[in-house]
Amino acid sequence: MMSGGRSRVKMRPPRNRDSSDVNFEDSWSVLSTAMQEMYKKNASRLSYEELYRTAYTLVLKKHAEKLYYSFKSFVAQHLRDIVATELAPLASNTANSLAAEGVTSTQAVPLATADQREAGIRFLKAVKLQWDDHCLCMRMISDILMYMDRVYCKELQLPLIYDAGLALFRDHVIRNKDFQVGEHIYAIILNQIRRQRDGDIVDTSAIKATILMLESLTEDKVDGETVYSRSFEPKFLRSSTEFYTAEAAKLARDCLSGQYLIETEKRLKEEYERVMSYLSVTSEPKITKIVEETMITKNIIIVMHSEQSGLNQMILNDRMDDLQRLYRLSTRVDPDKTDLRNSLMTRVVAQGTEINNDALENLKRPEQRPKGVSAQNAATTAAFKWVEAVLELKEKYDRILNDTMDGDNQIQTSLTKAFSSFINQMNRCSEFLSLFIDDNLKKGLKGKTEDEAEAVLDRAITLFRYIDDKDIFETYYKSHLAKRLLGGRSVSDDVERLMITKLKMEVGFSFTTKLEGMFKDMKVSGDMVDEYKSYVQDKDPDRQTELSVSVLTSTNWPVSLSSVEHNTCVFPSEIERIKRSFDRFYIDRHSGRVLTWNPNMGNADIRATFRKRKHEINVSTYAMVILMLFNDVADGQSLSFEEIKSATSIPDNELTRNLQSLAVVPKTRILIKEPMSKDIRPTDRFSFNAGFESQYIRIKIPTVAYINKTETDSERKETVDKVDELRRYQTDAAIVRIMKARKSLEHNILISEVTTQLSGRFHPDAMMIKKRIDAMLEREYIERSSENRQLYTYLA
Amino acid sequence: MSQGDSSADSEYVLLVSSDGYEYSILRKAAMVSGTLQRMFEGAGLESQSKRVDLKDINGILLEKVCEYLYYNLKHQNNPGNIPEFDVPPEMALELLVASDFLDV
Repeated sequence: MMSGGRSRVKMRPPRNRDSSDVNFEDSWSVLSTAMQEMYKKNASRLSYEELYRTAYTLVLKKHAEKLYYSFKSFVAQHLRDIVATELAPLASNTANSLAAEGVTSTQAVPLATADQREAGIRFLKAVKLQWDDHCLCMRMISDILMYMDRVYCKELQLPLIYDAGLALFRDHVIRNKDFQVGEHIYAIILNQIRRQRDGDIVDTSAIKATILMLESLTEDKVDGETVYSRSFEPKFLRSSTEFYTAEAAKLARDCLSGQYLIETEKRLKEEYERVMSYLSVTSEPKITKIVEETMITKNIIIVMHSEQSGLNQMILNDRMDDLQRLYRLSTRVDPDKTDLRNSLMTRVVAQGTEINNDALENLKRPEQRPKGVSAQNAATTAAFKWVEAVLELKEKYDRILNDTMDGDNQIQTSLTKAFSSFINQMNRCSEFLSLFIDDNLKKGLKGKTEDEAEAVLDRAITLFRYIDDKDIFETYYKSHLAKRLLGGRSVSDDVERLMITKLKMEVGFSFTTKLEGMFKDMKVSGDMVDEYKSYVQDKDPDRQTELSVSVLTSTNWPVSLSSVEHNTCVFPSEIERIKRSFDRFYIDRHSGRVLTWNPNMGNADIRATFRKRKHEINVSTYAMVILMLFNDVADGQSLSFEEIKSATSIPDNELTRNLQSLAVVPKTRILIKEPMSKDIRPTDRFSFNAGFESQYIRIKIPTVAYINKTETDSERKETVDKVDELRRYQTDAAIVRIMKARKSLEHNILISEVTTQLSGRFHPDAMMIKKRIDAMLEREYIERSSENRQLYTYLA
Repeated sequence: MSQGDSSADSEYVLLVSSDGYEYSILRKAAMVSGTLQRMFEGAGLESQSKRVDLKDINGILLEKVCEYLYYNLKHQNNPGNIPEFDVPPEMALELLVASDFLDV
């Protein structure tokens, strides 16, 4: 800037233009003529500079406002003329009913005839043409009036020329009161869409262009709203809703479920493509939602429960595609898939209960079993069938889950819950499972490779996981295992151990320590016997009988084996001598231990001389004792049941069983029974059958008892009682443990803690816990606090 | 580079002052002015003839304006350290009005 006034330069003020009083009218007529020319596409004849300068001058002379409004009214008038001259005639060509009805509702959009449709498209194209022209002109006018835009409009925050032009188009064309151009357009478009939905091909380019136009026309004072979103879209959505509601109802009525799902997917895809190709993208989520709601949400239950083709049929017939579709569509509307899950669960439980009932039926109906199979064996078969059926069901659902539902976690959880519920409903499940495993370990795995064997065991383990009362299972498994080990019936030691390892992985140590103890005992016994043999060799080289002993630690093995009642037996003198020798040997090795002999579990090989030849017979220990008696009996002489009983002191039921196997079973009649009846009475007499013949030199005479079978009712009750007792101890221990750690607890919290702790082994009953708490109170392990009756405190 | 660009590079347009002085400048330079840009890209006469009659701006002023256009063009990419544009004070006000007109 200048300093002082010293310099010689003169500041000249800007020159005044022309005459200071520019005539507005003249200038305006220049401009308006120019605009006319532009509309007539004669713009190339215009001088931009002149027009720009004119406008510029007007603004400078403060005529901006007049200019602005003149411009607006000019354009408005022009547009109205256009509508009247160009568009209205076309509009009246299309069905009048279209226009009239299209005003209020789009429901009764009648399917226009071909001519009318053609006219409709023409109309749209005409509108588009006018729109394009208008936009172009607006741009040119905007350029001319740029100065005004910059200065006047910005200052007063009025819409710029271009925008004002668009708004004018909107107001005077689309919303033209006389001719309802806008409504017309909507009706036509909706009509086209409707036809396309019905399967016709329509000209989408015209529609697309029109939609673009609608989208460009923003509403005044409403952010983000366009004519499209305000006027057209709601109509579109409404008519779509109506269409799809009707469509859904129709399909649900007429189609099979599988078909319904396919149709739904088709429609979803179709709508998506439609929106993408010529409607506004913003509508996409809305229309998708509509289709989903009408076709999926409302009808999904109907579809699933349809008798002929619903969910159950799909599962039954392995219709994987349908299931997958069902899953996909359900997930769209409901990420939790509640309906689907519930239906699946219901179905699984239904099928499972069927399996349970079948098994129970099989148990009850003895006339169904094949000849020669005892009731107990039939029951065992029923057990196997149950296990197999459940595993099969599980595998089917696993397949469905993985193939069609992507292994979805929520569905997985629901299925697990359903399986768990019906499996535990079957209160003999633990027993059955243990039998299943038992059977496999005895015979079923013979000849299978390691992998196959492992696969079978894995299946058993999956079933095991579902069982709530795992301790019952443990009891059964222990007793079955014991019989296997002692009878030497297990197919392979390795497989047994493998099973134990798997169980350990599932439930942890405590479960399997006893089982492993049993294994160890067997091994130790084996070693012990070898030692004994060498010991005996030194002492007494010409022994006639050899002894092999399995020494079992009583705590590890099931209780039933070591009950004292079974132990009475009077051994023949040779046997007695050997027995004592072993006793001595063992006590030498392990002083402080007490040995109890269990004759009901052993077996013996006897060399017997018959008239024809010698045979070696393998019999149970009891049977051996019985047979040895006959050594002292002269040929032709017999012993009565009573006599045998008093001589051997064998308990009645064992005696009966063994005599049956020796004298009744046709192939192995070592003894002759009088009278020759199937059952054993105290008055029967037995004699040595010297005329016994058999092809084989070695014969094995099994006793009925060693096959693991389903328990009789009384046996089961025994087992359950035992388990209950064990549970009581465990509950007590848990209570004390928890109280000791927490010192004082509320009643409810204590119950929930105990339940959690015990849940790994079995599902405790609240009543039982309460009883045990009372017992603990009595035994003064805990006491009730005096202030709060609900609070317990630990007594050291 | 499209056809339009290369022609814009080498093309010249004519600015005619009120007193008849003609100044030929690069089209690209002219584009610096919003008004001129619109003139040449619009549909009117000027874009076809590639000349503009500026009836409100005299020769000397127009010359200064052209100078400025080039100056602007030259330093478009480097907004940092640029040499000053010299404006003689007696022209200042008129230049102001002209630049307002030309949207520069």
